[in-house]
Amino acid sequence: MPFAANPAPQPDDYASLRARLRAARVGVVGLGGLGSNVAWMLARAGIGTLVLADHDVVVANNLERQFYFTDQVGLPKTEALAANLARIDPSVRLECFQTHIDETSLGEVFAGVDVLVEAVDSAHDKALIVAVASERLPGTPVVAASGVAGYGSPNDIITRHLMGDVWMVGDLVSEVSAEHPLFASRVAIAAGHQAHMVVRILLGFPQV
Amino acid sequence: MLVEVALFAHLTPYLPEAGAGGTTGSPHARTIDLPDGTTVGQVIARLELPDEPRIVFVGGRHAADDHVLAAGERLAIFPPVAGG
Repeated sequence: MPFAANPAPQPDDYASLRARLRAARVGVVGLGGLGSNVAWMLARAGIGTLVLADHDVVVANNLERQFYFTDQVGLPKTEALAANLARIDPSVRLECFQTHIDETSLGEVFAGVDVLVEAVDSAHDKALIVAVASERLPGTPVVAASGVAGYGSPNDIITRHLMGDVWMVGDLVSEVSAEHPLFASRVAIAAGHQAHMVVRILLGFPQV
Repeated sequence: MLVEVALFAHLTPYLPEAGAGGTTGSPHARTIDLPDGTTVGQVIARLELPDEPRIVFVGGRHAADDHVLAAGERLAIFPPVAGG
């Protein structure tokens, strides 16, 4: 259905929209610059349950763009993020997995999620997660990202319905490198796109 | 058999000239005539795509390199890049 055909929510509909989001369970794989920021946006949006997975710990240079604080350096990202999200909304249910997500664990950790957010760093892992999700979580929308590095235009970051159940956020080509590092501002733009696409999918607006 | 092949991002220049637009008119797609029994891996080799991580879908689902294509199917290949 075209977006224009959907009436704008009336003020008294807001509670029902929030209720739909509160009933949702969303997975986030990778809790770095994309995933940690997607997670707080989803918490503030009122998502009821977040399934969070990352094997890593917080290091000092993560603070340049990730949703952690100086006193959390050395903590597992799952533990640090859970603490930060609880300060935003302690009623959000959190299922945390400090583990590397692979072919076997993805289907187990994220079974039953309504939407999966791919927020990992390496191209290999991005391809793996989308492929395995298609096989192990069939029919589950996946909101992925590719091309978020560098200081290119903010307006080159867009959301596309790529194929099947996959939405892709980014400019598609800006790979992280020494010449094109990750900037908090551009990564956060991409994270905002991902979080908002999740909200739209959950509210029944899967078109971009 | 005719198969639609869509290549995204920096893979688009690897599309052949003929068959522009595929069935959907997409600038990323071509309709390509392939022998019966052609696999996804054989299309990747024929187009000489670089050896790099790829998201490969056929008909809206992930497909491995040994997937045998059928007439009318749509093969879509997307190359994710690092960063997150």
